[in-house]
Formats: sequence, structure tokens, C-alpha cells
Amino acid sequence: MNKALLLVFLLLSQVAFAQKTYTISGTITDKATGETLIGAAVSVDEKPTIGAATNEYGFYSLSLPEGSYTLHISYTGYAQYTEKVTLSKNYTLSKPLSSSENQLQEVTVSSKAKNENVTSAQMGMNKLDVKEINALPVLFGEKDVIKIVQLLPGVKSAGDGNTGFYVRGGAADQNLILLDEAVVYNPSHLLGFFSVFNSDAIKNLTLFKGNEPAQYGGRLSSVMDIKMNDGNDQTYHASGGIGLISSRLNLEGPIVKDKGSFLISARRTYADIFLGLSNSATTRESKLYFYDLNAKFNYKFSDKDRIYLSGYYGKDVLGLGDLFGINWGNATATLRWNHIFNSKLFSNTSLIYSDYNYNINVNTGGINASLLSVIRDFNVKEELNYYISPTNSLDFGLNSIYHIITPGQFNGNISVPSQSLTHSWENAVYITDKWKASSKLNFDIGVRVSAFSVISGTNNYYNLDQNHNIIDTLHYAPGTIVKTYLNPEPRISGSYQLTSSSSIKAAYSRNAQYLHLLSNSVTSNPTDKWVASNNIIKPEVADQVSLGYFKNLKDDMYECSVETYYKSMQHEVDYKDNAQILTNAPVEPQLLSGQGRAYGVEFMAKKNEGRFTGWISYTLSKTELQINGINNSDWYPAHQDRTNDISIVGMYKLSKRWTVSADFVYYTGDAVTYPSGKYTVDNQVVFYYTNRNEAREPAYNRLDLGATYKLKQHKHFSSEINISLYNAYGRENPYIINFQTDPNDASKTQAVQTSLFRWVPSISYNFKF
Amino acid sequence: MRIILSFICLLVITFCSCQKVINVNLGSTPPAYVVVGNITDQPGPYTVTITKSVNFDQDNVFPGVHGATVYITDVTAGLTDTLSEFVTGMYQTHILTGTPGHVYKMNIITSNQNFTATSTMPQPVALDSVYTQTSIFGGDTDVVPMYKDPVGLGNFYHLLLTIEDSVSTEIYLHNDEISDGEEVKQPLRNNIKVLPGNTITVELQCIDSGVYQYYNNLQQTEQQNSATPANPQSNVKGGALGYFSAHTVRKKSITVH
Repeated sequence: MNKALLLVFLLLSQVAFAQKTYTISGTITDKATGETLIGAAVSVDEKPTIGAATNEYGFYSLSLPEGSYTLHISYTGYAQYTEKVTLSKNYTLSKPLSSSENQLQEVTVSSKAKNENVTSAQMGMNKLDVKEINALPVLFGEKDVIKIVQLLPGVKSAGDGNTGFYVRGGAADQNLILLDEAVVYNPSHLLGFFSVFNSDAIKNLTLFKGNEPAQYGGRLSSVMDIKMNDGNDQTYHASGGIGLISSRLNLEGPIVKDKGSFLISARRTYADIFLGLSNSATTRESKLYFYDLNAKFNYKFSDKDRIYLSGYYGKDVLGLGDLFGINWGNATATLRWNHIFNSKLFSNTSLIYSDYNYNINVNTGGINASLLSVIRDFNVKEELNYYISPTNSLDFGLNSIYHIITPGQFNGNISVPSQSLTHSWENAVYITDKWKASSKLNFDIGVRVSAFSVISGTNNYYNLDQNHNIIDTLHYAPGTIVKTYLNPEPRISGSYQLTSSSSIKAAYSRNAQYLHLLSNSVTSNPTDKWVASNNIIKPEVADQVSLGYFKNLKDDMYECSVETYYKSMQHEVDYKDNAQILTNAPVEPQLLSGQGRAYGVEFMAKKNEGRFTGWISYTLSKTELQINGINNSDWYPAHQDRTNDISIVGMYKLSKRWTVSADFVYYTGDAVTYPSGKYTVDNQVVFYYTNRNEAREPAYNRLDLGATYKLKQHKHFSSEINISLYNAYGRENPYIINFQTDPNDASKTQAVQTSLFRWVPSISYNFKF
Repeated sequence: MRIILSFICLLVITFCSCQKVINVNLGSTPPAYVVVGNITDQPGPYTVTITKSVNFDQDNVFPGVHGATVYITDVTAGLTDTLSEFVTGMYQTHILTGTPGHVYKMNIITSNQNFTATSTMPQPVALDSVYTQTSIFGGDTDVVPMYKDPVGLGNFYHLLLTIEDSVSTEIYLHNDEISDGEEVKQPLRNNIKVLPGNTITVELQCIDSGVYQYYNNLQQTEQQNSATPANPQSNVKGGALGYFSAHTVRKKSITVH
């Protein structure tokens, strides 16, 4: 780490002696909507090895020696802008680009500079533009960015009815999911059938598979960074969709033209009307719906200052008359201030709030009570981009998050003691140097130093003996720092360009994670419990090395890549045998911790342009855990261990009006614990278990088909019909497998598989004016 | 929480799903010993059963273990009883009388393994009454036993429900952690259709903490809603499945109107 810092200082001092340079900087936007474009490329004919890309707020900065240049600003799907510049002073070039595409349904599979995948040092990363997914088949007519991410190499779906995903062998809680920088703790609606991300409000999504830049931290396996649209600052627009079980409406427009805009996007399902058709009275009285709302405002005070305020609020409601109900949801708010200090220094300051809670109500049998559980973050972030020279830029900043977890608070006429709140404070500083060492060699060298302090409230802390029994209960005065963990997290990646269209890349990164999700069910559940690290639960730490080969063919029309990784994890948590989780007792005695390892190879081939676009991805991998006290302390497969995982995605533009699409997935079943025998106790058959995760679920496979038909376009109104068939050949994939005595023959036992979603057709109508 | 999970499952399954019986290759595993021993405060003889586990795809026929040597010692009274095998795998006491407050120790010697277990018989708690009420879920009938927990923590209960001749397969447990010294009215949820004229019997057992833990684990194992199912933690030492319980028994029967 010291060496990395030394290198940074050397580079900085080198700048002082560089020849006289001037800086071109500015913000790139979409001409029609005023939306900033992320990752637009700025290139120079005279210096083919030098270039810049816009940051997540559309800002770029490029320093060049005095002289005359031909500049190009380009972004896939947009007309390229070219300008000749004679540089004798700093120059501001902010340019709106015109979209070259038809609204609503263009099939584009790339949103970045065409060969950025080859040239940049960043590896283990995928970007998705929401426009890319418009034509893909969907479940129940709802476009869902998370469902598309699950089709990328190294990313595995947690199964039907689940928005959870596993990245490079990591568990579902090891993904940092950000919506405009705010952490979304539970990305699923309706028990995982949908994600909370309404694609109408989303601009783009970037997924980092463990090699994330140092500005991100707090999770071991991945960062999914989702940016909301800013809203059209030119004209007012409405768009929306009407589907079988949900409808959406999106409004946007200028507050002051060219200066500020707003966006409001809302969604509501009406799946519960189908429950009314059921024969069962219980089902008819049930409530089952969700709604969510995205809103964003931004205003440019000057050429140098811009404020963004964005928020999300969503709620799921499940209930049975007045007797019983459970609702849960996320709320986030982000206030950001972009400030351009000068053409080389860009700053963003954010104040972020995020909240996830669930509430269970019971009103029956004389009991009228509720249980509330909340995780809440207050977060301050300062990020600076310093564009030192054409070959060097620095990203640095700091981040401070205060976490408050309410594990369970009881209200009502029952005498159950509530669990005390847990407080913790997570701080980090980071710096990354993006260094073009030569025309062929690029490095991103960074380090993040994170500190996590366990702060005492009125809660108890424990000491455990070797058998994990509580031997001592510790009390601290409120506000006392019980324990602080400090983790330096170096992140280094480099690329070497072999030819103009191929490169090799290597990376090493360390990540620390201080919050852990405890889930002891085979399916995801809104009541899964977040716990913070404390004196007993240690932070998880992962070290990942990866190596990749990247090659583009036919003028970047095709992208191919092979990446391999090896990840070693410490302080992985798993439940001990017979853990009692559905109680109010301290959770620490129920847990065991140990180490993990994950390794694999990921192949991807992608066609970005033409009438046919799509990709094939294949991952071969292994993920294992070794925890003392489980399976005789031997290595055993993690639940998410999957040997093979294949995704094939294709979109074909048949005509001006018709686009058809299909996707296919196949993956090895999860590692699960099934009975290996049976015995009898008290005249009941009881199943006999030997080793954890020794068995396999049947392999999963599915084909989806979709078609989009564009209706006649009027001057200000366009619309389309989207038809899809999910699980086209009706494969019965396992959701749960239960073991039971055969109801028709008490002398036998049998395995019964429950599947969701066979042949789910859907149709939706989308419009825009 | 269990109710919530099952409720969620109900909705998911109603929504859109299908079920089918599948073949899962679960292989074979070496048979394990299963020991079940009970001593009660009712007149003996008391029985210890020793069987072995079988593979999942075999019939539910569990072979008894013949020829084991089984002793039970009333540690408090200093009395040891050697049990006799009266059916293959079933062993009976001769002289013991279960007494609340006494500690019992079981010893089993088989051809290749030895097992021991200890259990303490708690003081009995009376079962005051039993009545029925309509369940909040699905309109079934819940049977509600009523009993008064004695003051002082550490009381554990196991209940058995019989409706006509069917014994409910549910495991009903209670402890006094949050109801110490209170009157307990515990609705026993079940899937058995209760009709007027039926005879309902509830058996209230006071068990010790080791046996309570065993049943608590067993309940979780049987529900299969854990991602990491495991064998219940037994109070039998030496590597056997099952339990050894010294408990009191109080019973009450009612006729449904």
C-alpha cells in the first residue's frame, strides 16, 4: 500500500514538470431530453492514444499541449459531434448530442465508447443501458434490470421468484445495490417476483464484479450502481405502460428550460384482483400488491453548480383481512451538489438517507400486536475527480455512514420485550489514480481504508465460550465505542493492449463487509435479518485476483472476453446445525464463521450492432466454505455453488415495426441439504441428514420469447405493444422440494417439487408523448 | 413467525405454481442407531426402543436392534433395572417407578456401540381444562388446553393431541420464558377435521430442558423450512438419534358439541 501511495506522489510531482497544457472540459447531454450522458467518449485525431470519457454526471476533462486538434464526441446511438479546436487557453465544450435513433424501441447493446472494453484498465465490469432491455422478453410484462443482469457472465440468478443474485460465488447479501448512491437493502417486490427498479425511471446500470473502484465499498462480491434519469429539461413528456398485472406512469419536464427538470415515475400492481377469483375464502380476503414511486429534481444554478434531489419510496402489502398483515419497503433520498471548481477539478457532495423496514401485524385471538424491524442509514459522501494530465487522473474522497438497526420492536397488548437498537458508524477514505503509463499500458491504482465502529446503545454484547454459549453479558454506556475494525482495501487493475482490438488485463482487490444478512430459508424472505459486525461477528474480507483477455472483432461489432478469478474470503458466516432463528434470543450463539473460496472462468461473446444483437455467456465455477463445526470442518459447497451457467440472449429487428427476442438460461442446481435416509421416532417418520449442501437441486433451464410491435407513430405520440412468453417450453424448475410420506401409501416416502411459472404469457402496451 | 412463513407460501402457491412427485437420487447411507426411551410418573413398565435408519427410497420398515443390553438407573433412589427384550428391538423395565424429581440414567450396550443418556423428571403441572375454538386460518378447529405455569423459570411442556383415534403429527411445545407463572391457553393448530361428537384427548407432559431442545429441533427438522436442515440434537450420547425422556403425564378428554 505504501508503494502505491509513493507511486501516486511520484506521478503528481511529474505533472509539475510537464509541458504547457490546456484543458478542454464540459458536460455532454442528450439534445432532446437534456439527460446527461454517462461514458460518452471524447477523442482527438492528432493524439489517438489520448481520450476522455464523461463521468457519472456527464462531465469530462481532457488536457492537451498547446496546438490545433480535431475533437470528436461520440456515444453509441447518437450522431458524432466533431469540432476543430485551436488550443491556446482552457476551453469549455459542453455539447448536446442528437440521438440518431427512433424513440422507445431501438435495439442498442452498447452505451459506451466502442472499444472501451478493450482499452480501459477496468475489468470484471458490465454496463447496461435501459434502452438495451426494451426488446427482451419479460415476466408479467414488467421490464426488470436485475433480471437482465442475471444473464451476464459470472452472475447467477437465485432462482424463479427471486431477484437475489450471486456474483462470482458470493452470497446474495454480498452485493451492494445502489440507487442514486443510496443503498437498497431489499431489491425485491412481491417476494422476489419483481425488482424495486422501475425501468421507466432508470438511466443505466453498472455492475462491478468485485473489482470495483475504491470509491465503492462495503460488500464483498459486487456493486450494482443504478442511476435514475434526471428528467427532460427541454419539453414535457408523459410515458407509461399498461400490463396484465401492473401499470406505470412517468412524467417529466423542465422546471426552467435548460436549467432544471423533474421526473416522477409511479407503478402499482393489481395482482390481488386475481385473488378474488379464487375458490378459497382465505385467498379472496387476501391483500397482495406493491407500489413504488421514483422522483427526481435537478437545477443548474450556474455553469459550475448543479443540485440533484432524488428519492424512491416503495411498499409491498400482504394481508389477510384485518387478522394478519405484513408490509415492507425501501425508502431512499439523495441530495447531491455537483461543483466544478475548475476545468480539472470536479466535485460531488452527497447527503444520502436509506431505510428498509418491515412490519408484521396480528389482530386475533385477543392479541393485537405488531413487530417492526428497520435498518436505516445516514450517509455523507464527498467525491473529487482531479484530471491532472492526459495520462493521469485522480479520484478521491471520503464517506461516512451511520447505521441504526432495529432488530424487532413489539407494540400492542403483548408483553414481549423489544430488542435494543444497534448503532454503528462506517467511515472510509479512498484514492484512485487512473494512469496511462504508455499508449498500451493502463493502470487504475487505488486504496480504500475503511473503519467500522460498533457503538453501544442500550443493547447488550456477549462473550461466548468455545461451544458458542453465552458466558458473559457486557454493558457499555450509550455512545461508547465497543470495537473498531480497520481495513485497508487495495484495488489495483491494469491492462496491456496487445493490438488495437485486443488486450489482456489483470486485477487484485480487497473488499471488507460489515453488515451481514442472515437468511435461513431456501427462498428469499422480506424478514431476513440484517446484522452489523460487533465484538463477535467479524467483518467479512475478500481478496480477489483476476485475469482476462479481451478481443473485439469486425470494427468493434463483436466483443469477446475470457476472465478468470480466484477469491478467498474470511469470516464467512453460516448457521450452526439446529440454529434457532425465529426467536427473540441473541443471534450470536447460533452462528459459526469460517473461510470461503471461489474460483471460475467466464466467457462472453457479444454482438453489438446490426439487425441481430445479443450475447452468449458461459461460466464454469466453484464456491466452497470451510467452517469449523460444519461437515466435520471439511470444505463443503456453498449453497450458491453452481458448476455450469449458460445464458443466451438474442434480439432481431425483423422490420421497422417488429422486433423479436429470445433468451435461454441453463444452470447447475444449487447445493442443498436433502435427507440421506429416514428413521422412526414416536411413530413418525423422521428424515436423517448427513452432510450440509451435499445434494443438488435438479438443473434449471428456461426459454423466454418476446416480440415488440411498434404502432403507427404520430407527431408527438408513439406507442408499442410488447408480447412475451416466459418459460416457453413449460419447464418445471424447482422452487422448493419437500420430502414427505406418500399420502397414498404410508409405507413409502416421496420427494415433491413445487414449481412456479410455467408458460407465463403477458402483454403490455407502452406509450410516450 | 412460522405462521407468516406458511402464509407467504400459501399465497405464492395459490398465485401460480404446480407440484409433482420427482425422483431425487439420494443414494444410500450407513444405518444409524435410533434410541427412544420414556419413563413417566404413571405406572410402568416403561419401554426403550432401539431401531436403525433406512435409505430414503426403502419402505418405512425400521429394523429393531436385537440383543442389546439396556439398563436404567434411578440415580436419586440408587436403583438399577435391567430391561428385557419383549419384541425385537423393544426393551421393558421390571421394577422402576417413575417419580417426579428423580434423575434417570439409561445405558445401552450393543454389539459395536454404547449409548448413555440422563433425564430428570420434572414436577407435574395439572391440566385444568380443554376447549375448542375456531382457528383464524381457514376455519379449522383449534383445541386449547389450559394450565397454570408454576412460578419460577425453567418449565418445559410437550403436548400430544388425539382426535378420535388420530394422533396429530404436529409437535406442540411450550416454555415459560415469557409466560412465567401465568395461565397458559395454547391453541393447538392441526389439520384434523373436528366433528361434533368427537372425543378429543390432550396429554400434557412436563419435560426437562434437554428433551425440550430435542423436540424443538425435531420440529424445525420436520418443517423443512430451514436452508440447513440437520438432525435434532439428541440427549443420547454416543452417536445415536432419538431421545431419552423422564416426564410427567396429565391427560384430559372432552367431547365436542
